[in-house]
Amino acid sequence: MINQIVEHATDQSATLQHATEAAAEHGESGVGFILHHILAHPVIHLPTIYGVDFSITNHVIMMWIISAVLVLSFGIAFRKPSLVPRGLANALESLVLYIRDDVILPTLGHNARAYAPYLLTAFFFIMLCNLAGLVPYGATATGNIAVTGTMAIMTFIVVQVAGVRKHGVLGYLKMFSPPGVPFLLQFIMVPVEVISMITKHFALAIRLFANMIAGHITILALMSIIFIFKNWLIAPFPLAIILFSSLLEILIALIQAYVFTILSAVFISASLASEH
Amino acid sequence: MELMTPSGGTIFWTTVTFVILLLLLGKFAWRPILAMLDERESRIRESLQQAEKARIAAQQTLAEQDQILEAARKEAQEFLAKSRKSAEITKEEIIKKAGTEAEALITKARREIEMSRDKAMEDIRDLAVELSMNATAQLIGKSLDAKDHQALIDDSLTKLGKLN
Repeated sequence: MINQIVEHATDQSATLQHATEAAAEHGESGVGFILHHILAHPVIHLPTIYGVDFSITNHVIMMWIISAVLVLSFGIAFRKPSLVPRGLANALESLVLYIRDDVILPTLGHNARAYAPYLLTAFFFIMLCNLAGLVPYGATATGNIAVTGTMAIMTFIVVQVAGVRKHGVLGYLKMFSPPGVPFLLQFIMVPVEVISMITKHFALAIRLFANMIAGHITILALMSIIFIFKNWLIAPFPLAIILFSSLLEILIALIQAYVFTILSAVFISASLASEH
Repeated sequence: MELMTPSGGTIFWTTVTFVILLLLLGKFAWRPILAMLDERESRIRESLQQAEKARIAAQQTLAEQDQILEAARKEAQEFLAKSRKSAEITKEEIIKKAGTEAEALITKARREIEMSRDKAMEDIRDLAVELSMNATAQLIGKSLDAKDHQALIDDSLTKLGKLN
């Protein structure tokens, strides 16, 4: 693990030369270097249609790699599912079991079976996207607001579908006006409920995005200290803190995947609930 | 700021990637895994229930066996006591019978002895009469008539009676 982090650090210092060039572009040296490192770069240029740039960025490539890894590892491990798993199947199963037993079943209960596939996919996808940013040459796709926004929209769609499937369209819309509230107050309550429905998913996107990007910004900023001081002797101090931050980032990567999954499960169960 | 503006292309690609991933994993991972987990859980639950059943059955069998054993022990004890009692009775009977038999034998023997003695007495008496008769005949040289005989016999008898 330490090796990995050191490599990560060296990888990042290698891009520092890059940063000086980027600094010229962006004007301010530190911010430019950090932004250059965090933002997505197009790898394969594709045409822009109706103002949407369909270029494949490094974040998209990372998502593809992660998806391939997930499909391959699960496909190989569970080609013939056995009641007594071994090896890779055992390792993957322990994670699946953890999410199923500690996240999905307690919040969704008997509805778990229908929504488990989405929640499990979201968990593994986000977890690997988060961790991929800590791997040398990796990029954090979940440090991209477009990616986390899409994930939040997915949860939003699942939540709406769950509510409509459970209560019907009208029944579901009725849930936005809480019962037992005076009629006039409904003019306030309904917008509040609608806004709350949107903000909680918006927060889902921002939470994941900000958590992922904050760690990187911290590490890169600490790295910049060495170059601001232009002194070798100062290096051990930022490096020590970078090591610590990198370890913390591993923790945060796992926690945020877990948080996203459990919040999605909670939102789904809220829209499945008969009364608010 | 570029950092906070979501790019439409990335949204598109993320959606495509995630939906495909969801479908693939749903088919190849979650369905078999969740089915397997359910099956394993039901298998474990069944096994536990079966074990519980088996335990109860074993306990019942054990209790039954204990009961049977207890009954057998009781029976054996009763049998033993009964046979001991009957043996005691038989013993006493045998002893009693032996006692009476011995008594009978003794009386019979005694009677026989008495009879033999009486007979011997008679024989001796007869012999004595004959002997004395012979001796007298020889002594007197003449034969005595029946009257004399009788007188002599009576005489001898009284003498013998005195001897006796």
